Amino acid sequence: MVMRNRAAWLPWALPSIVLVTVFFLAPFLLNVRFAFSSWTSFRAEITWNGLENFRTLIDQDLLANAVTVTVLYAILCMAIQNTVSLSLALALQRTSRINTVFRSAFFLPTLISPLAAGYIWRGLLAPDGAVNSFLGIEWAWLGEPSTALAVVAFIDAWKWSGLITLVYIAGLNSIPKSLLESATVDGAGPWTRFRRVVFPMLAPALTFNVAVTLVGALSAYDVIAATTGGGPGDHTRALNVVMRQQWGQGFFGSASALGFTVTLLVIATAVPLVWWLRRREVAG
Amino acid sequence: MRAVLKYTALTLFAIPWVLVPIWLVVVNSFKPAGEAAELGLGLPRTWAIAENYGIVLDRGGYLTGLVNSLKVTVPIVVAVVFLGAAAAWAFGRSRSRWLQAAYFVMGLSILLPPSIIPTVYLLRALSLDGGSLGYVLAMTGCRLGIVIFLATGFVRAFPRDLEDAAAIDGASRPQVFVRILLPLLRPVLFVGGVILIINVWNDFFFALFLLQGSANATLPLSLFQFASGTLQSLNWNLVFAHVLLTTLPLVAVYVVAQKRVLAGLTEGALKG
Repeated sequence: MVMRNRAAWLPWALPSIVLVTVFFLAPFLLNVRFAFSSWTSFRAEITWNGLENFRTLIDQDLLANAVTVTVLYAILCMAIQNTVSLSLALALQRTSRINTVFRSAFFLPTLISPLAAGYIWRGLLAPDGAVNSFLGIEWAWLGEPSTALAVVAFIDAWKWSGLITLVYIAGLNSIPKSLLESATVDGAGPWTRFRRVVFPMLAPALTFNVAVTLVGALSAYDVIAATTGGGPGDHTRALNVVMRQQWGQGFFGSASALGFTVTLLVIATAVPLVWWLRRREVAG
Repeated sequence: MRAVLKYTALTLFAIPWVLVPIWLVVVNSFKPAGEAAELGLGLPRTWAIAENYGIVLDRGGYLTGLVNSLKVTVPIVVAVVFLGAAAAWAFGRSRSRWLQAAYFVMGLSILLPPSIIPTVYLLRALSLDGGSLGYVLAMTGCRLGIVIFLATGFVRAFPRDLEDAAAIDGASRPQVFVRILLPLLRPVLFVGGVILIINVWNDFFFALFLLQGSANATLPLSLFQFASGTLQSLNWNLVFAHVLLTTLPLVAVYVVAQKRVLAGLTEGALKG
């Protein structure tokens, strides 16, 4: 029969394969080369130079700080986002009219661009802004080294929390009711039920959300561009921020090296995380 | 009693989380520059709606941005959804080793961040740099993976009897695709499409590298250029007016499709 003919499947996948190969895979492979190449706006010729780009970035005290900032940012963002979203999902799990209204309201920040989210919170958190006047203090949230990074990560988490909440609700609703009922019959209280039944059963949603939020936050740029631009000093200068600066100054090789560092961080985070969470999922 | 407590807590949380940020934007976009600089939450003492929005439409490049955003978002979403669905059908049904290897690359493209600098290099080599077409192609190539991955799971979970029966009845492959596959994949394509629209409409990072000049600027780019143009002290009234106008099209779509979006995301996202 026609449908079993193997070669006949290729045309259906071909446009996608071509697009992904040319615009994802090829740039990915080229980046590995550019990261170890001398390439600037002053000398257009691209030549292999080993670890020179990384050495230059380290000598300028740019690399270690950018990696630290990026990793901290990602962890903070992931923690805030998942705490808020899981709490909201537990509160809004049941589909009722009032819960739908709340779900809908909490989804709104997801529609706002990260850039716009940055401007909005920069306004709210200004020294003479609404947050400070409510708290009765005067604090430059985005200007003080001690709070800037956490606040920027918070804004990123705020923007995405609505979507992650919905993924958690989907996960919660896929838990069989009978399991919870039998736990209740066996005398388990709400906390025990959450710890012993809900939490382990939530593993697929948790895997997905933790991985997605961490990996996404490693590519942080937009919120930082709209709020601190990397400051105060270099306290929010994440890898992509330095990359953009290097690119702007014409150091294309160094910029590629920074992009490659993001990729390495993503691999280093995602592979063990997915593996570990998957194993827990099976064991749980 | 517990329900009352719960919804009071939720409301108290929703006020600073959702209401105040939106209110800040709306109310300050109505104020003259000096008043908006106080960043207060009170009603305007002097109203400056027409002036502010006039300036954003005129000098903020809003209309150009709107057209450009539509010009890239629509083709990307259409291409990703339909090409993704077609590829998912092939990946879900074919046992060819080559296609399975290609499917693995699709999976990689979800996890790994796109390499933006080589993308600029590549588009330059193809003489496609700076314009909408290069951006659409690059964005499509980087976003196809997730839709293909979700939809392939769906195809695999579904028995092929229907397709076989239609083929025996003489339906051609394109007919089977349109009449059976697309309706079958509708929930997952809808969810993928929604996330994609939000993603592409709000994209700033890709646009910053790939779109050159204000003639090609999408809304996030024009917002950034507009806000950075007055870097000394932001003209908050104008920035907020721009933020509101930039977000409005998505909010309008969301209000209309709200029920399906929420239901789709809570029910269809993780299946398959």
